[in-house]
Amino acid sequence: MIEWQFESLAALIAMAPHGPFVWSVYGLGALVLGGLTWHVRHAHSHAITRIQRQFEREGGHESET
Amino acid sequence: MAWRWFHQWGSPRWFYERASRWQAWAGWIAVILLAVGTVWGLAIAPVDYQQGHSYRIIYLHVPVSFLAQALYLAMAIAAAVLLVWRMKLADVAMQSLAIVGFAFCVLALASGAIWGKPTWGTYWVWDARLTSMLILAFLYLGIIGLRSAMLDPNTAGKACAILALVGAINLPIIKYSVEWWNTLHQPASLTLTEKPAMPASMWVPLLINICGYYAAAAYLVFASMRGLVLHRERRAQWVRELVGAHD
Amino acid sequence: MGIEWRIIQREWRLVMARPGEVLKPMWFLLLVISLIPLALSPDSTLLAEIGPAMIWVATLLAILLNMDHLFKDDYSEGVLEQWLFWSRPFAWCVAIKLLTHWLFYILPLILMTPIVGLMLSIEADVIAVLLVTLLVATPALTCFSGLGGALTLGAARSGVLGVLVMLPLFVPVVILAAGVITRTTDGAGVGPLLALLAAFSLGAAILMPLAIAAAIRLNIGGST
Repeated sequence: MIEWQFESLAALIAMAPHGPFVWSVYGLGALVLGGLTWHVRHAHSHAITRIQRQFEREGGHESET
Repeated sequence: MAWRWFHQWGSPRWFYERASRWQAWAGWIAVILLAVGTVWGLAIAPVDYQQGHSYRIIYLHVPVSFLAQALYLAMAIAAAVLLVWRMKLADVAMQSLAIVGFAFCVLALASGAIWGKPTWGTYWVWDARLTSMLILAFLYLGIIGLRSAMLDPNTAGKACAILALVGAINLPIIKYSVEWWNTLHQPASLTLTEKPAMPASMWVPLLINICGYYAAAAYLVFASMRGLVLHRERRAQWVRELVGAHD
Repeated sequence: MGIEWRIIQREWRLVMARPGEVLKPMWFLLLVISLIPLALSPDSTLLAEIGPAMIWVATLLAILLNMDHLFKDDYSEGVLEQWLFWSRPFAWCVAIKLLTHWLFYILPLILMTPIVGLMLSIEADVIAVLLVTLLVATPALTCFSGLGGALTLGAARSGVLGVLVMLPLFVPVVILAAGVITRTTDGAGVGPLLALLAAFSLGAAILMPLAIAAAIRLNIGGST
Protein backbone atom coordinates (compact mmCIF):
# COMPACT_ATOMS: atom_id res chain seq x y z
CA MET A 1 0.00 0.00 0.00
CA ILE A 2 2.81 2.41 0.85
CA GLU A 3 4.39 3.41 -2.39
CA TRP A 4 7.47 5.60 -2.15
CA GLN A 5 7.55 8.25 -4.80
CA PHE A 6 11.33 8.52 -4.94
CA GLU A 7 13.85 5.86 -5.84
CA SER A 8 16.63 7.23 -3.70
CA LEU A 9 17.29 9.72 -0.93
CA ALA A 10 19.06 11.92 -3.46
CA ALA A 11 15.93 12.01 -5.60
CA LEU A 12 13.86 12.94 -2.55
CA ILE A 13 16.20 15.80 -1.72
CA ALA A 14 16.39 16.98 -5.32
CA MET A 15 12.60 16.71 -5.86
CA ALA A 16 13.43 17.82 -9.36
CA PRO A 17 13.02 20.59 -10.20
CA HIS A 18 11.34 22.05 -7.13
CA GLY A 19 13.57 20.77 -4.30
CA PRO A 20 14.88 24.15 -3.11
CA PHE A 21 11.35 25.58 -2.83
CA VAL A 22 9.81 22.62 -1.02
CA TRP A 23 12.70 22.13 1.37
CA SER A 24 13.08 25.81 2.19
CA VAL A 25 9.38 25.95 3.12
CA TYR A 26 9.70 22.93 5.41
CA GLY A 27 12.97 24.24 6.82
CA LEU A 28 11.31 27.54 7.60
CA GLY A 29 8.40 25.71 9.19
CA ALA A 30 10.72 23.72 11.42
CA LEU A 31 12.56 26.91 12.32
CA VAL A 32 9.39 28.79 13.28
CA LEU A 33 7.83 25.92 15.24
CA GLY A 34 11.14 25.12 16.92
CA GLY A 35 11.79 28.76 17.69
CA LEU A 36 8.34 29.20 19.23
CA THR A 37 8.76 26.05 21.30
CA TRP A 38 12.11 27.27 22.56
CA HIS A 39 10.67 30.71 23.27
CA VAL A 40 7.71 29.54 25.33
CA ARG A 41 9.81 27.05 27.30
CA HIS A 42 12.47 29.64 27.93
CA ALA A 43 9.86 32.18 29.07
CA HIS A 44 8.47 29.61 31.51
CA SER A 45 11.81 28.74 33.08
CA HIS A 46 12.78 32.41 33.09
CA ALA A 47 9.62 33.22 35.04
CA ILE A 48 10.50 30.53 37.58
CA THR A 49 14.09 31.75 38.12
CA ARG A 50 12.89 35.33 38.48
CA ILE A 51 10.39 34.36 41.15
CA GLN A 52 13.05 32.31 42.92
CA ARG A 53 15.48 35.20 42.91
CA GLN A 54 12.80 37.51 44.28
CA PHE A 55 12.11 34.90 46.95
CA GLU A 56 15.79 34.74 47.97
CA ARG A 57 16.10 38.51 48.03
CA GLU A 58 13.31 38.67 50.57
CA GLY A 59 15.51 36.59 52.85
CA GLY A 60 13.45 33.42 52.86
CA HIS A 61 11.81 34.37 56.17
CA GLU A 62 8.53 33.29 54.72
CA SER A 63 9.68 29.68 54.70
CA GLU A 64 9.37 29.61 58.48
CA THR A 65 5.73 30.51 58.44
CA MET B 1 -22.37 22.84 38.15
CA ALA B 2 -22.02 25.70 35.68
CA TRP B 3 -20.88 27.94 38.48
CA ARG B 4 -18.17 25.51 39.51
CA TRP B 5 -16.92 25.31 35.94
CA PHE B 6 -16.76 29.06 35.76
CA HIS B 7 -14.99 29.25 39.08
CA GLN B 8 -12.34 26.74 38.00
CA TRP B 9 -11.48 28.68 34.88
CA GLY B 10 -11.19 31.78 36.99
CA SER B 11 -8.51 30.10 39.13
CA PRO B 12 -5.01 30.49 37.72
CA ARG B 13 -3.69 27.70 39.90
CA TRP B 14 -6.25 25.20 38.66
CA PHE B 15 -5.39 26.13 35.08
CA TYR B 16 -1.64 26.00 35.64
CA GLU B 17 -1.81 22.48 37.02
CA ARG B 18 -4.35 21.12 34.54
CA ALA B 19 -2.77 22.72 31.49
CA SER B 20 0.48 20.95 32.25
CA ARG B 21 -1.23 17.68 31.34
CA TRP B 22 -3.02 19.16 28.28
CA GLN B 23 0.23 20.64 27.09
CA ALA B 24 2.00 17.27 27.25
CA TRP B 25 -0.83 15.52 25.40
CA ALA B 26 -1.01 18.18 22.70
CA GLY B 27 2.75 18.14 22.28
CA TRP B 28 3.00 14.39 21.76
CA ILE B 29 -0.02 14.26 19.48
CA ALA B 30 1.51 17.07 17.43
CA VAL B 31 4.86 15.31 17.10
CA ILE B 32 3.27 12.03 15.98
CA LEU B 33 0.74 13.52 13.58
CA LEU B 34 3.19 15.95 12.03
CA ALA B 35 5.80 13.23 11.56
CA VAL B 36 3.28 10.92 9.87
CA GLY B 37 1.58 13.62 7.82
CA THR B 38 4.77 15.32 6.66
CA VAL B 39 6.60 12.13 5.66
CA TRP B 40 3.48 10.93 3.89
CA GLY B 41 3.02 14.24 2.13
CA LEU B 42 6.65 14.62 1.12
CA ALA B 43 7.55 11.10 0.07
CA ILE B 44 4.46 8.90 -0.34
CA ALA B 45 1.67 11.07 -1.74
CA PRO B 46 1.57 10.93 -5.55
CA VAL B 47 3.01 13.77 -7.53
CA ASP B 48 0.67 16.44 -8.92
CA TYR B 49 0.45 16.20 -12.70
CA GLN B 50 0.22 19.98 -13.14
CA GLN B 51 2.52 21.44 -10.51
CA GLY B 52 4.97 18.59 -10.04
CA HIS B 53 6.62 18.27 -6.65
CA SER B 54 6.17 21.92 -5.71
CA TYR B 55 2.58 21.14 -4.70
CA ARG B 56 4.00 19.31 -1.65
CA ILE B 57 4.25 22.73 -0.01
CA ILE B 58 0.48 22.39 0.48
CA TYR B 59 1.07 20.07 3.47
CA LEU B 60 2.52 22.99 5.40
CA HIS B 61 0.93 26.00 3.74
CA VAL B 62 -2.74 25.04 4.00
CA PRO B 63 -2.73 23.91 7.66
CA VAL B 64 -0.72 26.94 8.73
CA SER B 65 -3.03 29.34 6.86
CA PHE B 66 -6.06 27.67 8.47
CA LEU B 67 -4.49 28.05 11.87
CA ALA B 68 -3.55 31.69 11.36
CA GLN B 69 -7.24 32.48 10.82
CA ALA B 70 -8.58 30.09 13.46
CA LEU B 71 -6.24 31.54 16.09
CA TYR B 72 -7.49 35.06 15.34
CA LEU B 73 -11.04 33.82 15.86
CA ALA B 74 -9.99 32.17 19.12
CA MET B 75 -8.35 35.42 20.18
CA ALA B 76 -11.54 37.36 19.44
CA ILE B 77 -13.53 34.88 21.54
CA ALA B 78 -11.04 35.27 24.39
CA ALA B 79 -11.39 39.05 23.99
CA ALA B 80 -15.17 38.82 24.35
CA VAL B 81 -14.77 36.60 27.43
CA LEU B 82 -12.34 39.11 28.94
CA LEU B 83 -14.63 42.09 28.34
CA VAL B 84 -17.85 40.37 29.45
CA TRP B 85 -16.68 38.27 32.41
CA ARG B 86 -13.39 40.00 33.17
CA MET B 87 -11.67 36.66 33.39
CA LYS B 88 -7.93 37.19 33.78
CA LEU B 89 -7.13 33.90 32.12
CA ALA B 90 -8.75 35.18 28.91
CA ASP B 91 -6.24 38.02 28.88
CA VAL B 92 -3.37 35.55 29.16
CA ALA B 93 -4.94 33.46 26.39
CA MET B 94 -5.19 36.52 24.14
CA GLN B 95 -1.56 37.37 24.68
CA SER B 96 -0.41 33.84 23.83
CA LEU B 97 -2.78 33.45 20.88
CA ALA B 98 -1.58 36.73 19.36
CA ILE B 99 2.04 35.64 19.32
CA VAL B 100 1.42 32.09 18.08
CA GLY B 101 -1.12 33.36 15.55
CA PHE B 102 1.26 35.97 14.22
CA ALA B 103 4.05 33.40 13.82
CA PHE B 104 1.69 31.08 11.90
CA CYS B 105 0.55 33.99 9.77
CA VAL B 106 4.13 34.87 8.83
CA LEU B 107 4.80 31.22 8.05
CA ALA B 108 1.70 31.08 5.84
CA LEU B 109 2.82 34.20 3.97
CA ALA B 110 6.38 32.96 3.53
CA SER B 111 5.34 29.51 2.35
CA GLY B 112 2.79 31.06 0.00
CA ALA B 113 5.42 33.34 -1.48
CA ILE B 114 7.92 30.50 -1.95
CA TRP B 115 5.20 28.36 -3.51
CA GLY B 116 4.36 31.25 -5.82
CA LYS B 117 7.80 31.20 -7.44
CA PRO B 118 7.47 27.82 -9.21
CA THR B 119 3.70 28.18 -9.72
CA TRP B 120 3.26 31.79 -10.81
CA GLY B 121 6.86 32.55 -11.73
CA THR B 122 7.14 35.25 -9.07
CA TYR B 123 7.39 35.38 -5.30
CA TRP B 124 4.58 37.80 -4.73
CA VAL B 125 1.38 38.43 -6.61
CA TRP B 126 -1.48 40.49 -5.28
CA ASP B 127 -3.65 37.42 -5.05
CA ALA B 128 -6.78 37.78 -2.90
CA ARG B 129 -5.69 35.23 -0.32
CA LEU B 130 -2.13 36.43 -0.02
CA THR B 131 -3.39 39.97 0.39
CA SER B 132 -5.92 39.20 3.09
CA MET B 133 -3.32 37.07 4.88
CA LEU B 134 -0.97 40.05 4.78
CA ILE B 135 -3.64 42.26 6.32
CA LEU B 136 -4.30 39.61 8.96
CA ALA B 137 -0.59 39.75 9.81
CA PHE B 138 -0.87 43.54 10.20
CA LEU B 139 -3.86 43.09 12.52
CA TYR B 140 -1.92 40.63 14.67
CA LEU B 141 1.03 42.99 14.71
CA GLY B 142 -1.20 45.88 15.79
CA ILE B 143 -2.49 43.90 18.75
CA ILE B 144 1.00 42.82 19.81
CA GLY B 145 2.29 46.38 19.39
CA LEU B 146 -0.56 47.92 21.35
CA ARG B 147 0.02 45.59 24.28
CA SER B 148 3.72 46.28 24.39
CA ALA B 149 3.20 50.05 24.34
CA MET B 150 0.66 50.30 27.14
CA LEU B 151 1.91 51.20 30.59
CA ASP B 152 -0.66 49.38 32.71
CA PRO B 153 -1.01 45.65 31.98
CA ASN B 154 -4.70 45.55 32.95
CA THR B 155 -5.60 48.40 30.64
CA ALA B 156 -3.40 46.85 27.94
CA GLY B 157 -5.38 43.59 28.03
CA LYS B 158 -8.76 45.29 27.69
CA ALA B 159 -7.55 47.72 25.03
CA CYS B 160 -6.23 44.77 23.02
CA ALA B 161 -9.57 43.02 23.53
CA ILE B 162 -11.48 45.98 22.07
CA LEU B 163 -9.08 46.11 19.13
CA ALA B 164 -9.33 42.35 18.57
CA LEU B 165 -13.14 42.51 18.52
CA VAL B 166 -13.24 45.45 16.13
CA GLY B 167 -10.74 43.58 13.96
CA ALA B 168 -12.86 40.42 14.07
CA ILE B 169 -15.96 42.31 12.93
CA ASN B 170 -13.91 43.90 10.16
CA LEU B 171 -12.14 40.77 9.02
CA PRO B 172 -15.00 39.29 6.92
CA ILE B 173 -15.54 42.72 5.33
CA ILE B 174 -11.82 42.94 4.54
CA LYS B 175 -11.85 39.43 3.07
CA TYR B 176 -14.83 40.07 0.81
CA SER B 177 -13.60 43.47 -0.31
CA VAL B 178 -10.15 42.09 -1.12
CA GLU B 179 -11.71 39.25 -3.12
CA TRP B 180 -13.89 41.70 -5.02
CA TRP B 181 -10.90 43.97 -5.65
CA ASN B 182 -8.95 41.00 -6.94
CA THR B 183 -11.59 39.97 -9.48
CA LEU B 184 -11.67 43.58 -10.63
CA HIS B 185 -7.96 43.79 -11.33
CA GLN B 186 -6.65 40.38 -12.20
CA PRO B 187 -7.41 37.73 -14.73
CA ALA B 188 -8.63 34.69 -12.85
CA SER B 189 -5.96 32.45 -14.32
CA LEU B 190 -3.70 32.51 -11.27
CA THR B 191 -5.64 30.43 -8.79
CA LEU B 192 -4.57 27.39 -6.93
CA THR B 193 -8.13 26.38 -6.16
CA GLU B 194 -9.60 25.26 -9.43
CA LYS B 195 -8.18 21.79 -9.58
CA PRO B 196 -9.79 18.41 -9.99
CA ALA B 197 -10.71 16.73 -6.71
CA MET B 198 -7.72 15.31 -4.90
CA PRO B 199 -7.35 11.54 -4.57
CA ALA B 200 -7.44 10.17 -1.03
CA SER B 201 -3.69 9.52 -1.02
CA MET B 202 -3.26 13.28 -1.36
CA TRP B 203 -5.85 14.65 1.04
CA VAL B 204 -5.46 12.16 3.88
CA PRO B 205 -1.94 13.39 4.75
CA LEU B 206 -3.25 16.95 4.44
CA LEU B 207 -5.95 16.17 6.98
CA ILE B 208 -3.40 14.54 9.29
CA ASN B 209 -1.18 17.58 9.07
CA ILE B 210 -4.07 19.97 9.72
CA CYS B 211 -4.81 18.06 12.94
CA GLY B 212 -1.09 17.99 13.71
CA TYR B 213 -0.70 21.75 13.38
CA TYR B 214 -3.82 22.28 15.49
CA ALA B 215 -2.20 20.16 18.21
CA ALA B 216 1.08 22.03 17.83
CA ALA B 217 -0.73 25.35 18.20
CA ALA B 218 -2.52 24.03 21.29
CA TYR B 219 0.81 22.94 22.77
CA LEU B 220 2.40 26.32 22.10
CA VAL B 221 -0.56 28.28 23.45
CA PHE B 222 -0.82 26.22 26.64
CA ALA B 223 2.93 26.36 27.23
CA SER B 224 3.02 30.09 26.68
CA MET B 225 -0.03 30.67 28.88
CA ARG B 226 1.49 28.69 31.74
CA GLY B 227 4.61 30.83 31.70
CA LEU B 228 2.55 34.01 31.65
CA VAL B 229 0.24 32.81 34.45
CA LEU B 230 3.25 32.08 36.61
CA HIS B 231 4.68 35.52 36.03
CA ARG B 232 1.38 37.31 36.66
CA GLU B 233 0.68 35.36 39.83
CA ARG B 234 4.23 35.74 41.14
CA ARG B 235 3.01 37.24 44.41
CA ALA B 236 0.53 34.43 45.09
CA GLN B 237 1.25 31.88 47.79
CA TRP B 238 0.74 28.85 45.53
CA VAL B 239 3.36 30.11 43.09
CA ARG B 240 5.88 30.56 45.89
CA GLU B 241 5.23 27.05 47.15
CA LEU B 242 5.48 25.64 43.66
CA VAL B 243 8.70 27.45 42.84
CA GLY B 244 10.17 26.55 46.22
CA ALA B 245 9.53 22.91 45.36
CA HIS B 246 11.56 23.29 42.19
CA ASP B 247 14.95 23.59 43.85
CA MET C 1 -29.11 70.67 23.06
CA GLY C 2 -27.03 72.16 25.90
CA ILE C 3 -24.37 69.52 26.30
CA GLU C 4 -23.86 68.88 22.62
CA TRP C 5 -23.50 72.60 22.09
CA ARG C 6 -20.86 72.83 24.84
CA ILE C 7 -18.70 70.17 23.15
CA ILE C 8 -18.92 71.97 19.82
CA GLN C 9 -18.16 75.34 21.40
CA ARG C 10 -15.13 74.03 23.23
CA GLU C 11 -13.81 72.53 20.01
CA TRP C 12 -14.39 75.82 18.21
CA ARG C 13 -12.46 77.72 20.88
CA LEU C 14 -9.58 75.24 20.61
CA VAL C 15 -9.49 75.63 16.84
CA MET C 16 -9.48 79.42 17.16
CA ALA C 17 -6.71 79.29 19.74
CA ARG C 18 -4.52 77.04 17.64
CA PRO C 19 -5.48 77.27 13.96
CA GLY C 20 -2.19 75.61 13.09
CA GLU C 21 -3.66 72.27 14.13
CA VAL C 22 -6.24 72.54 11.35
CA LEU C 23 -3.72 73.76 8.80
CA LYS C 24 -1.06 71.14 9.48
CA PRO C 25 -2.84 68.17 7.81
CA MET C 26 -3.72 70.38 4.82
CA TRP C 27 -0.11 71.42 4.56
CA PHE C 28 0.91 67.76 4.75
CA LEU C 29 -1.49 66.84 1.94
CA LEU C 30 -0.13 69.61 -0.29
CA LEU C 31 3.45 68.58 0.36
CA VAL C 32 2.87 64.90 -0.35
CA ILE C 33 1.00 65.67 -3.58
CA SER C 34 3.76 68.07 -4.69
CA LEU C 35 6.34 65.36 -4.19
CA ILE C 36 4.61 62.91 -6.52
CA PRO C 37 5.39 64.63 -9.86
CA LEU C 38 8.92 65.19 -8.60
CA ALA C 39 9.39 61.53 -7.75
CA LEU C 40 7.51 60.14 -10.75
CA SER C 41 7.43 62.41 -13.78
CA PRO C 42 5.66 65.63 -14.80
CA ASP C 43 3.80 63.70 -17.52
CA SER C 44 0.19 64.79 -17.08
CA THR C 45 -1.50 61.67 -18.48
CA LEU C 46 0.45 59.49 -16.06
CA LEU C 47 -0.32 61.82 -13.15
CA ALA C 48 -4.01 61.94 -14.04
CA GLU C 49 -4.11 58.15 -14.06
CA ILE C 50 -2.57 57.56 -10.63
CA GLY C 51 -3.70 60.89 -9.16
CA PRO C 52 -6.98 59.85 -7.54
CA ALA C 53 -5.30 56.92 -5.77
CA MET C 54 -2.48 59.17 -4.56
CA ILE C 55 -4.89 61.78 -3.25
CA TRP C 56 -6.83 59.07 -1.45
CA VAL C 57 -3.77 57.64 0.25
CA ALA C 58 -2.40 61.07 1.14
CA THR C 59 -5.75 62.18 2.60
CA LEU C 60 -5.91 58.95 4.58
CA LEU C 61 -2.50 59.64 6.09
CA ALA C 62 -3.39 63.27 6.76
CA ILE C 63 -6.50 62.14 8.67
CA LEU C 64 -4.44 59.71 10.69
CA LEU C 65 -1.92 62.44 11.43
CA ASN C 66 -4.65 64.13 13.45
CA MET C 67 -5.52 61.05 15.45
CA ASP C 68 -3.49 62.05 18.45
CA HIS C 69 -5.36 65.32 18.93
CA LEU C 70 -8.76 63.72 18.90
CA PHE C 71 -8.87 62.77 22.55
CA LYS C 72 -5.42 63.46 23.99
CA ASP C 73 -6.00 67.12 24.93
CA ASP C 74 -9.42 66.43 26.39
CA TYR C 75 -7.90 63.50 28.27
CA SER C 76 -5.03 65.43 29.82
CA GLU C 77 -7.29 68.35 30.75
CA GLY C 78 -9.83 66.08 32.43
CA VAL C 79 -12.66 66.98 30.06
CA LEU C 80 -13.34 63.32 29.26
CA GLU C 81 -13.88 62.60 32.95
CA GLN C 82 -16.51 65.31 33.08
CA TRP C 83 -18.46 63.62 30.30
CA LEU C 84 -18.89 60.61 32.55
CA PHE C 85 -21.01 62.69 34.92
CA TRP C 86 -23.08 64.41 32.30
CA SER C 87 -26.71 63.54 31.78
CA ARG C 88 -26.06 62.05 28.33
CA PRO C 89 -24.65 58.59 27.55
CA PHE C 90 -20.87 58.68 27.33
CA ALA C 91 -20.92 57.18 23.82
CA TRP C 92 -23.22 59.99 22.69
CA CYS C 93 -20.68 62.59 23.85
CA VAL C 94 -18.01 60.66 21.95
CA ALA C 95 -20.17 60.70 18.82
CA ILE C 96 -20.65 64.48 19.09
CA LYS C 97 -16.93 64.91 19.55
CA LEU C 98 -16.26 62.82 16.43
CA LEU C 99 -18.74 64.93 14.50
CA THR C 100 -17.06 68.18 15.53
CA HIS C 101 -13.70 66.71 14.66
CA TRP C 102 -14.99 65.82 11.22
CA LEU C 103 -16.40 69.31 10.73
CA PHE C 104 -13.37 71.27 11.91
CA TYR C 105 -10.46 69.09 10.81
CA ILE C 106 -11.54 66.64 8.11
CA LEU C 107 -13.91 68.78 6.07
CA PRO C 108 -11.25 71.43 5.27
CA LEU C 109 -9.01 68.59 4.17
CA ILE C 110 -11.67 67.27 1.79
CA LEU C 111 -12.22 70.75 0.40
CA MET C 112 -8.55 70.76 -0.61
CA THR C 113 -9.23 67.94 -3.08
CA PRO C 114 -10.03 70.14 -6.11
CA ILE C 115 -6.80 72.08 -5.63
CA VAL C 116 -4.54 69.04 -5.33
CA GLY C 117 -6.59 67.39 -8.09
CA LEU C 118 -5.72 70.22 -10.44
CA MET C 119 -2.08 69.93 -9.45
CA LEU C 120 -2.13 66.33 -10.70
CA SER C 121 -4.11 67.35 -13.82
CA ILE C 122 -7.12 65.20 -12.95
CA GLU C 123 -10.25 65.96 -14.95
CA ALA C 124 -13.11 67.83 -13.32
CA ASP C 125 -15.63 64.99 -13.37
CA VAL C 126 -13.13 62.61 -11.75
CA ILE C 127 -12.42 65.23 -9.09
CA ALA C 128 -16.16 65.42 -8.43
CA VAL C 129 -16.33 61.65 -7.94
CA LEU C 130 -13.25 61.80 -5.72
CA LEU C 131 -14.98 64.43 -3.58
CA VAL C 132 -18.10 62.30 -3.28
CA THR C 133 -16.14 59.20 -2.21
CA LEU C 134 -14.22 61.23 0.36
CA LEU C 135 -17.41 62.76 1.76
CA VAL C 136 -19.07 59.36 2.03
CA ALA C 137 -16.05 57.50 3.40
CA THR C 138 -14.51 59.97 5.85
CA PRO C 139 -17.09 59.40 8.62
CA ALA C 140 -15.85 55.80 8.83
CA LEU C 141 -12.22 56.93 8.71
CA THR C 142 -12.85 59.49 11.46
CA CYS C 143 -14.40 56.81 13.65
CA PHE C 144 -11.50 54.42 13.14
CA SER C 145 -8.87 57.05 13.82
CA GLY C 146 -10.88 57.98 16.92
CA LEU C 147 -10.58 54.41 18.14
CA GLY C 148 -6.85 54.48 17.47
CA GLY C 149 -6.52 57.67 19.47
CA ALA C 150 -8.64 56.34 22.33
CA LEU C 151 -6.82 53.02 22.56
CA THR C 152 -3.39 54.63 22.69
CA LEU C 153 -4.34 57.16 25.39
CA GLY C 154 -2.62 54.97 27.98
CA ALA C 155 0.38 54.13 25.81
CA ALA C 156 3.83 55.28 26.78
CA ARG C 157 4.81 56.58 23.35
CA SER C 158 1.64 56.67 21.31
CA GLY C 159 3.17 58.57 18.35
CA VAL C 160 2.87 56.44 15.27
CA LEU C 161 1.45 53.39 17.04
CA GLY C 162 -2.19 54.36 16.59
CA VAL C 163 -1.63 54.81 12.87
CA LEU C 164 -0.03 51.38 12.54
CA VAL C 165 -2.79 49.75 14.54
CA MET C 166 -5.63 51.35 12.58
CA LEU C 167 -4.37 51.34 8.98
CA PRO C 168 -5.20 47.69 8.21
CA LEU C 169 -8.82 48.36 9.20
CA PHE C 170 -9.07 50.99 6.47
CA VAL C 171 -8.63 48.41 3.71
CA PRO C 172 -12.32 47.93 2.78
CA VAL C 173 -12.91 51.68 2.60
CA VAL C 174 -9.93 52.23 0.35
CA ILE C 175 -10.89 49.34 -1.94
CA LEU C 176 -14.50 50.50 -2.28
CA ALA C 177 -13.57 54.13 -2.87
CA ALA C 178 -10.93 53.19 -5.44
CA GLY C 179 -13.53 50.93 -7.08
CA VAL C 180 -15.95 53.84 -7.41
CA ILE C 181 -13.27 55.99 -9.03
CA THR C 182 -12.04 53.36 -11.54
CA ARG C 183 -15.62 52.49 -12.47
CA THR C 184 -16.46 56.09 -13.20
CA THR C 185 -13.42 56.51 -15.42
CA ASP C 186 -14.48 53.29 -17.19
CA GLY C 187 -17.99 54.66 -17.53
CA ALA C 188 -19.72 51.99 -15.44
CA GLY C 189 -22.44 52.50 -12.81
CA VAL C 190 -21.30 53.21 -9.25
CA GLY C 191 -24.58 53.40 -7.34
CA PRO C 192 -24.30 50.05 -5.52
CA LEU C 193 -20.66 50.68 -4.59
CA LEU C 194 -21.43 54.10 -3.15
CA ALA C 195 -24.30 52.54 -1.22
CA LEU C 196 -21.91 49.95 0.23
CA LEU C 197 -19.44 52.65 1.17
CA ALA C 198 -22.22 54.66 2.82
CA ALA C 199 -23.38 51.54 4.67
CA PHE C 200 -19.86 51.00 5.97
CA SER C 201 -19.69 54.59 7.18
CA LEU C 202 -23.10 54.34 8.82
CA GLY C 203 -22.17 51.09 10.55
CA ALA C 204 -18.94 52.63 11.80
CA ALA C 205 -20.78 55.75 12.99
CA ILE C 206 -23.19 53.61 15.01
CA LEU C 207 -20.82 51.01 16.45
CA MET C 208 -17.53 52.82 16.84
CA PRO C 209 -18.62 55.44 19.41
CA LEU C 210 -19.48 52.52 21.70
CA ALA C 211 -16.06 50.93 21.21
CA ILE C 212 -14.32 54.30 21.61
CA ALA C 213 -16.30 55.02 24.76
CA ALA C 214 -15.23 51.65 26.19
CA ALA C 215 -11.59 52.36 25.27
CA ILE C 216 -11.67 55.79 26.91
CA ARG C 217 -13.25 54.43 30.08
CA LEU C 218 -10.40 51.92 30.36
CA ASN C 219 -7.83 54.66 30.22
CA ILE C 220 -9.66 57.01 32.56
CA GLY C 221 -9.08 54.35 35.17
CA GLY C 222 -11.22 51.49 36.30
CA SER C 223 -14.59 50.75 34.78
CA THR C 224 -16.93 53.31 36.22
